[in-house]
Amino acid sequence: MIEQLHLLILAIILFGVGLYATLGKRNVIKILMGIEIMTISINVAFIALGTDIANGTFKEFTQIFPLISLAVGAAVIAVGLAIVINNYRHTKGVDSDEMSTLKR
Amino acid sequence: MSLVAIYILMILAIVAAIFALESKNLMVSVISLIVMNFFVWGVLLTYGALIIAWIQLIVYGGGFTALFIVVVALTEKQRDETFELWKTILAVVAVVVIVGLLIFAVTQSGITNIVGDVSDPSEIFTILWRDRTTDVILQGVLFFVASVAIGTLFLQHNRKKTKEEIKA
Repeated sequence: MIEQLHLLILAIILFGVGLYATLGKRNVIKILMGIEIMTISINVAFIALGTDIANGTFKEFTQIFPLISLAVGAAVIAVGLAIVINNYRHTKGVDSDEMSTLKR
Repeated sequence: MSLVAIYILMILAIVAAIFALESKNLMVSVISLIVMNFFVWGVLLTYGALIIAWIQLIVYGGGFTALFIVVVALTEKQRDETFELWKTILAVVAVVVIVGLLIFAVTQSGITNIVGDVSDPSEIFTILWRDRTTDVILQGVLFFVASVAIGTLFLQHNRKKTKEEIKA
């Protein structure tokens, strides 16, 4: 017996872990990892909410939304990592407090 | 039995995610992220979401891992020594409050829908062979090996460089 609730709780906890990284970490690579974990948790939530309530089956169509989310998340993290490398060339560090020097 | 296996997969995914964020060594963090992706892949497979499970494993577990490893190797800061006690405590408190509220809301909503077409985790392997996903497995393994190889090459190159600089 696999319930929708278990998957939703997993998604919420993973989202919390990712949120902790974005709030409490200063290393930009860790923050990007947190954003990736949050994206994964949103995909899991999409899958959990895609159940057909009437007959309890899984809808194949619901996997389209996580696919879009995955593509957008891919672009976000690729750009983020590019910014990290660019910032490292200027400041020789990966601290989020030093990101203000990007405008120079 | 199957429910216990799924609980174990979920708990391991959460533990791997926390370990990825808390590890001081950034390479270990990236490897923990791969492990977390594998556990989430297992959970999604047991729920019957085959397409998204595989695509997530390939894109996040494979492609992004390679990107992360390259960035960690290029930035030459393989250790994360930054730690602020008050910031961490505030973040943990905020996250605990938000997650607690969300879990309370979800559990009180009365959701009891049963999902997934796999009742026994051992059926996963049957499904993998039946749906001809072995080539996708090979792609995932190839991505994983390639990412680890690229990371190792970068690390070795940097170590050689620093040793030569020290000698000079």
